[in-house]
Amino acid sequence: MSMMNREVAWRIFADEFNKSTLETGGGEERTPSYLITPLGAKINRVYVVGVLTEIENRGTPEEPMWRARVTDPTGTFFVSAGQYQPDVATKLAHMDPPAFVAVIGKANIYRPDEETVLTSIRGELVKEVDEEQRDYWILEATRSLKERLGAVNEAAQMEEVSTDELVDLGYDLKLADGIKAASEHYDSFQIEKYWRVLEDALMYVLPEYEEAGGLEEEEESTEEEEEIEDLVLEVLEELEDEADGENGVEYDTVMEETLEEKDISQEKFEEAVNSLRNSGKIYEPVLGNLKRIY
Amino acid sequence: MNNKKELAPHIEDINRALNEKLSEEQIEEELQTYLDVYGVPLGTAKRAIVKKHEGDPGDLYVSTEKKIEDIQGDEQGLNLKARLVSLNDKEIEVEGEPKKINYGILGDDTGTIPFTAWEIFSFDVEKGDTISVQNAYANMWNDKPQVNISSKSSVSLIDPDEVPDFDSEAQPCKLEDLREGMNNLKVKARILQVEKKMVNTKNGEKELFSGTLADETGKAQFSAWYDFGLEEDDIVEIEGGYVRSWRGIPQFSFDDSAELEFLDDDELPPAEELREKTVMTISALAKRGGAVDAVVDAVMIDIKSGSGLIFRCPECGRVVQKGACRVHGKVEGDPDLRVKGILDDGTGALTVIANKELTEELLGYDLEKALDIAKDKMNQDVIQDELEDELIAQPLRTVGNVTSDEYGLMLIADEIQFKAVDVEEEARELLDEVRV
Repeated sequence: MSMMNREVAWRIFADEFNKSTLETGGGEERTPSYLITPLGAKINRVYVVGVLTEIENRGTPEEPMWRARVTDPTGTFFVSAGQYQPDVATKLAHMDPPAFVAVIGKANIYRPDEETVLTSIRGELVKEVDEEQRDYWILEATRSLKERLGAVNEAAQMEEVSTDELVDLGYDLKLADGIKAASEHYDSFQIEKYWRVLEDALMYVLPEYEEAGGLEEEEESTEEEEEIEDLVLEVLEELEDEADGENGVEYDTVMEETLEEKDISQEKFEEAVNSLRNSGKIYEPVLGNLKRIY
Repeated sequence: MNNKKELAPHIEDINRALNEKLSEEQIEEELQTYLDVYGVPLGTAKRAIVKKHEGDPGDLYVSTEKKIEDIQGDEQGLNLKARLVSLNDKEIEVEGEPKKINYGILGDDTGTIPFTAWEIFSFDVEKGDTISVQNAYANMWNDKPQVNISSKSSVSLIDPDEVPDFDSEAQPCKLEDLREGMNNLKVKARILQVEKKMVNTKNGEKELFSGTLADETGKAQFSAWYDFGLEEDDIVEIEGGYVRSWRGIPQFSFDDSAELEFLDDDELPPAEELREKTVMTISALAKRGGAVDAVVDAVMIDIKSGSGLIFRCPECGRVVQKGACRVHGKVEGDPDLRVKGILDDGTGALTVIANKELTEELLGYDLEKALDIAKDKMNQDVIQDELEDELIAQPLRTVGNVTSDEYGLMLIADEIQFKAVDVEEEARELLDEVRV
C-alpha cells in the first residue's frame, strides 16, 4: 500500500536554511521539490517560530505580495504570501511587528542571477503566538539540528558517504539521502560551526546565560563605544525625520553622516551598529536600511 | 519435450481419477500420444483419457506445484513439497463419529503455512520430515491461507534435499516490530486484557479470544482462534503466530497450530508498567502502518475546514454543506463539534480527529454554547477560528488508535492534552549532552 503521507514540517534554524543552495525534484508534475541544507535536511515544508520584525507589501493593493521577516536566534527567514496564499496574506497585512509568530510554509529557492541564491518560505499558515511557544520551537529546532549533526558526524568519517550505512546506524532514510546529496554539493558540512549554533541557541532560552552575556557586553563596551553608539542613534533619528520613510535610512547614508560628525574609522561605526542591533535599539527593516526601535 | 519427470504428477492425477484401473505405463503411453502425436493441450488430454476409460473428469484437475508464499487460499489440485515445521493430532467429530486428524505447520524456503490432514497420515511421520503432497487444496481459514490434505490427496516422505534448508524455528519478534504479513513468529507478552467473542465466519459461528498484549516495546491487539484458557495478567510465549492488519494496525493472531506456554510472572514487568503509554514518533507509526492506543507528542500545524461547528445529515451522518447532504439533499442538519487537524512532530505528519466531547473540552464550552456563539456572530466558522487560535503551534499530547489508508495516517483521538514543557530544564539537559 503506498501512502500519500503529508510532507513533514522541518524545524530548522534560519542560519542553516538560508545557507542552502541545492534543490532536487519538482521537475515533473506532482513530484515535490526539496531544498537540501548544508547538513542534509531535505526540506519541502518548514515550521518556524520567531519574531516578526517587518512586513511590507511589494505588490499592489489589488495583487498583494507580502514579504515578511521572521528572525530566530541565528538569522532571518524571508516569508512571502501573494494572491495564491490569501489567508496568509490577509493575516500578515493585519499583523503589527514586532510580534512572535509561527509560520508553516513551503521552502523556496530563488536565483535572481547566476551567483545569487535566495531562500524563502512560501507561507501556508501564519499565527501570532507567545514567547513560550517560541522557546519550545527553539528546543525542537535544536533537537532536530542535533540529530543531523550526529548523522553528519558519522557521514564525515566515511570514505564515501553511504546512505545504507547511515540507515544501518539508525538514521532516517530521507535524512541519509539528504546527507549524501549535501556531501556531493557543499564544500564541507561545517560541523564545528553548527555545534556552536546549537549551543548558542540553547543558551538563548536559558536566563543564566542571558544575564551573563549581557554583563560581559556591558563590561566590554567602553565609554568611547557608548559615545559612538549614542551618536549613531542621534544621526539616525535626524535622518529618519528627514526621510519620513517607513523603511528607515540607507546604511551608507547613516555611515557618511556619522563619520562627518566625528572622526572615527568605518570599523568603529560598524561595531557600533552591530552592538545597537544586538541590544535591540535598531534593526534592518529592509536589506541595507537601518531604523530605530522605540 | 515431455519427459517422464514432468508428466509424473499428471499421470498420478489420471491414475487417481481412474482409481488405478490402468497401469502407470499405459497412462503414460496414452498421454504421450495425445500430447506429442496430436498436439492436444495437457488439460484436454487428461480429461479425454479419463473419460475414455469411464472415469469422472471432475476428479481431475490440472495440478500445480506451488511454493508456500505463492499459495493464495483458493487452489485446487495443489502440489507442494515441504518440511513439517510442526505436527499435531486431535480428535474431531464427523457426523457424530469421532475421527482423528493431523494438523500443524508446513514450511519451505519461502515461508510457512498451517495445514490440516483430514485423514491421519497413514505412515510414520514426525516433525522435521520432508513430504511431498499431491492434490491438496487451499482455502482461507482465520483470514489466512491454509493447506488441506484430504482423502483424495496423496502424501509421501521424500528426501530432505528436495526442500532447501530454511529456518523453520519461529522467529522471535517484539510487539513494536510486528508488520503485516509476518508468519511463524514467536512472541513473549503479557495479556493486558482478553475477552471471548462469537464471530461469524464462512465456516459458521466461532469462538474468538481477543484483547491486548504487551511487552517492553509496546502493545498489540491479538486474536486467538482457540481457547488456550488465556486470562488477564498471564505471561505467555506464543510460537507460530502470524500478523494480519486491520486498517494498518498490525494484529497478532494465532490458532491451535501455535504452541503456547505460560511463563513465570517475573518474565516481564508488571501489567501497570506495561500499560504505561510510550510516546511514538510519527515516522515510526508510518513505518508500522498504525497502532493501538498510541501516544503522540506533536504540534498542531493546521486545522482543516469542516472543523468546529458542523451539521450532520440526520439520515447518514455526513456533514451537511450549504444546507444539503451529498446523498439526501436538503436536510435539517444535526449540530456537532469536531476537530480535523494536522499533527506534526518533526518526523512526520498525520491527520487527527477529535469528537464532540474532546472538542468541547478544548473549547472550554459545550455544543449549546457553540451554537449560541455562532448564532450571535451569524457565522458558524467562528468556532473553527477559535480552535485555530487555541491549537495551532501548540505542543499537544494525543492518545488514540492510529490507522492508515492511501491518504496516510489518521489518529482518532481518545485524549488531547496541552503538553506542559519545561523548556529551560530540557534546554539545560540538551546543553549538557552537547558539551560532553
